[in-house]
Amino acid sequence: MIDRTATSDEVALSAPRGLWYRLGPIWSLISLLAIVYLVTLVNSFLGDSVQVQLQYALVNLIIVVALQIFIGTSGVLSFGHVAFVAVGAWTVGLLTIEPELKRNLLPDLFPFLFDLNAPWFVAVLIGGIVGGLLALVVSPVLMRLNGLQAGIATFALLGVVNQVLTYWSSIGPRSGQSMVGIPDVLNLQTTMLFAMAAIVAAWLFQRTKPSRLLRAAREDGIAAASSGINVVSQRIIVFAVSGIVAGVAGGLFALTNRVVQSSQLNIELTFITLAMLVLGGMLSLSGAVIGTLVFSLVDVLLVRMQNGLEIGNFIVTVPQGARAIVLGLILVGMLLFRPSGITGGREFVWPFRKDRPLPGMPPTNEA
Amino acid sequence: MMSQLIQSIVDALSAGATLGLAALAIGLVFGVIRLANFAQAEIITGSAYCLIFTWDLGWYVAIPLSILVAIAMSLLMEFAVFSRMRTANPATLLIASFGLSFLIQRVYELMFSNNVRTAPVASGLAQTVEFAGVRVQLLSIATIVIAGALLLGLQLFLTRTSQGLQLKAAAADFKTARLVGIPAGRVIGLSFALSGILSAAVAFVLTVQTGAVGPSFGVQITILALVGAVIGGIDKISGSLAGGFLVGFATSMLATWLPQEMSNFKDAFVFVLVIGVLLFRPSGLLIKGRGVART
Repeated sequence: MIDRTATSDEVALSAPRGLWYRLGPIWSLISLLAIVYLVTLVNSFLGDSVQVQLQYALVNLIIVVALQIFIGTSGVLSFGHVAFVAVGAWTVGLLTIEPELKRNLLPDLFPFLFDLNAPWFVAVLIGGIVGGLLALVVSPVLMRLNGLQAGIATFALLGVVNQVLTYWSSIGPRSGQSMVGIPDVLNLQTTMLFAMAAIVAAWLFQRTKPSRLLRAAREDGIAAASSGINVVSQRIIVFAVSGIVAGVAGGLFALTNRVVQSSQLNIELTFITLAMLVLGGMLSLSGAVIGTLVFSLVDVLLVRMQNGLEIGNFIVTVPQGARAIVLGLILVGMLLFRPSGITGGREFVWPFRKDRPLPGMPPTNEA
Repeated sequence: MMSQLIQSIVDALSAGATLGLAALAIGLVFGVIRLANFAQAEIITGSAYCLIFTWDLGWYVAIPLSILVAIAMSLLMEFAVFSRMRTANPATLLIASFGLSFLIQRVYELMFSNNVRTAPVASGLAQTVEFAGVRVQLLSIATIVIAGALLLGLQLFLTRTSQGLQLKAAAADFKTARLVGIPAGRVIGLSFALSGILSAAVAFVLTVQTGAVGPSFGVQITILALVGAVIGGIDKISGSLAGGFLVGFATSMLATWLPQEMSNFKDAFVFVLVIGVLLFRPSGLLIKGRGVART
């Protein structure tokens, strides 16, 4: 447990506070939203292929925010969030494909699913609810576990969900096939707004009681439990909330990709989103956002370089396949030399305040 | 019916033995430095590539060479990456090994392309033999024999030699072992080398089985081995072995005996079983009580 008794310096500091100081915690939110906005703005001038990649990056951003809500708050590893992403994507697929098309492409569906239809926005929200419900249903079992066991059990959840979605043709395509015919309704701006909404939601959630209690339990489980915190029930709440966010991300993935296939929503996506979170620093929301954006930007750059990138008079080229290797090297190097990630688990704060918040603690005004 | 049952049991024993060895390779290292090394998959793949490429030179070249490659890769991982992360917790180490696994897979893709490479490795073992009406693959029997021999050797090594006893002590309690003067670096190196040998054996069995090796060759079995090691009790060497065996045995039996329309879901059944075991015995089947939390 980190002991924070106010030193005399801090007491002196706490007396007169300017407006900027009071805005401290909001500053972390504003700067993240501004970064997402600016990145989107700059990229929208860079041509269609980059825009497509950016839209995927923003969807990944929401998945990583969902991961951060749970892993960052509880300190427990989860390999299972892509399962919620997958059910979110499935829900949106089933609700937005034209009934006529559904009858032809997915003939084995439960009959009541044929005529079920919803506007895409509603479908995304329902996807979030389904993701959250799945998280809530499995959490009483999973949330009792810690450390490696939690990692393996959440991974097993992903395995079960993935197999069911792959092979159960009553709720989706026959095995080996994919869901096609998802309408083209989502543009880059809307995706950006969703990403911003996810950041705002995560930021607000950081300030609620379950999140604070669970952060306390993360720092010292025994001390938290002996202060009367029921760690398991707090974890269940946080897990369900992050399941909702992951489900929404899954819905947006379906609308972005417009083809849903269970093989795309499996270990590889789990690994890439976890890598993004680790890169940024898993203890802070800023880490989730920065990690995703840095990872995605490096990725865009490397893809360009594989095709030959012109900088002034030079053409920079890297061999095909180098992209994935560089990304892997960045991740392994980061874990070796700066395991707490780019942000070191800190949030953005007003740059001129003197008391820097501790890693993982969102900046607050209470001294 | 009876012969079919015996046949399925032999197959399941062989599947369990393979997975047990793979899980043991993970458990040996975990016992000493708390690292669940997912990049074990790439050691298996590397060793399998070596078998495929050198099989023409004769088995007496290919097999020793593939063992050497596995040991070298295992030690290299330790020196280049894991020895620099001694203070990290098991979850971070697991993520790091995921990263390493991802990285090496991409290197394989670059070096050997995405297509599978094939060679008739030990094709003699692919025959089926029949006695007393029971048809079994020679490979299944060979696998059981190889696993038995390795386990016997390992058991003798761990109980009869000074080095082995040191390793066993370190796996039981690394801190105390260091306090009584067991050299940490040597024991860690030894555990990685042994896990390399076990990986080479797994690679051999799998290569004979499939005859084709691609960049993600070792991933599937390593995932199942990791799962098996954890449910058996990764804190204990025998726990990993038993857990791996159990998962392999159950998967193979389910594949044979589940009704046709359910057999696609066999892995799902295994995973549900895993979650159930973890719920009631979070430290693993072979660990009594809640286990000692160690760092």
